Amino acid sequence: MTEIASAPTPAHRPARRWDPVVKLTHWSVVIAVIANALFTEEGSGTHVWIGYALAAILVLRLLWGLIGPAEARFTAFPPSIGRALAHLRDIRSGRHVEHRSHNPLGALMVYAIWSCLGAVIASGIAMAGLPGQARNERSDTAVSASTEIERGEDADEGDEGGEEEGALGEIHEVAVNLLYLLIALHVAGVVFETRRSGREVVLAMLPGQR
Amino acid sequence: MQRRHLSLQRKAAALTMVVAMQAVAALFFILDLAGDLLAEGFGAHLAAESAAVVALLAGVVIGAFQIRALVLSARQDEAAVAMARGVAAELVRLRFGEWKLTPAEADVALFALKGCDVAEIAALRGAASGTVRAQLARVYAKAGVGSQSALLGAFLEDLIDPALHATQCSETEA
Repeated sequence: MTEIASAPTPAHRPARRWDPVVKLTHWSVVIAVIANALFTEEGSGTHVWIGYALAAILVLRLLWGLIGPAEARFTAFPPSIGRALAHLRDIRSGRHVEHRSHNPLGALMVYAIWSCLGAVIASGIAMAGLPGQARNERSDTAVSASTEIERGEDADEGDEGGEEEGALGEIHEVAVNLLYLLIALHVAGVVFETRRSGREVVLAMLPGQR
Repeated sequence: MQRRHLSLQRKAAALTMVVAMQAVAALFFILDLAGDLLAEGFGAHLAAESAAVVALLAGVVIGAFQIRALVLSARQDEAAVAMARGVAAELVRLRFGEWKLTPAEADVALFALKGCDVAEIAALRGAASGTVRAQLARVYAKAGVGSQSALLGAFLEDLIDPALHATQCSETEA
């Protein structure tokens, strides 16, 4: 019995897929970013509500980073420059090391994208206000328009409010552009890793089992 | 057994969608509540709303734990089946080699192990049933067994814990 158990069994280990929470949050973020980048009007009600939904999805993913299965947890992919450099050396020397979670470069990308999303969401909510307030203020025109009108009325109190809004808008804009850059790098990274290590990188994130 | 991990995975995926929607709803409620609090201060109505928010959040967290349990048990199931398969395949290979079965006999023996009768094996191999019956007879002779169930038993004996096997045999004898 023992010799059978220790005999070299065919090493067909099923390719590890990401769990459903990782997949769903990933693709929800993709859909939300595409929707708000291309289809909704900036500052419109839809744009803002999609932003709130995106915030909830991000929070769910962060919760999953604490309680999810081993490879989805933060501890499985700590942000580490040292590891990323080691990974780069592996790439240069053509060495393949199996990573059960994100590879070290991918891990840095994950944290960069999350931070960027956080900045976009925070600045967006700061501009749009809370739903209760926004709903009271919003007529059929965009939120930003109505807040601008309000700012205009308050103008004699000083220009601070307007400047604040402008600064938030600036942060939102810069963070979003940085996000686009990171997404482009992320896609490039996936293409590169697929060429280097095979289709499993992409298959692991696709919906469905097997 | 084989499809159990798939059904567990489907359950996990369905629950994930519910939990994600709950998370979105919870955030909307929290923001709405925060807005109302700033606008009108705390009252009985908002107290009830806060309780609803707490319940939603608890649902999200408990749901997430449940998803993890489903994901992990699906994986465990998958791993157990894969390991059992590997061991069973190895055992079949070893025994067939030991009995010096010819490739055709090994093929027939494998179908017999899977529970096919002579007619089914003949149809699967595109052979006459007389041929298959003769091949099976040679397999039984080489394995030192008298029937299809005894052939299966020869494998199960190795796969089942010997201690358990011994106690159950003695119980039936007694």
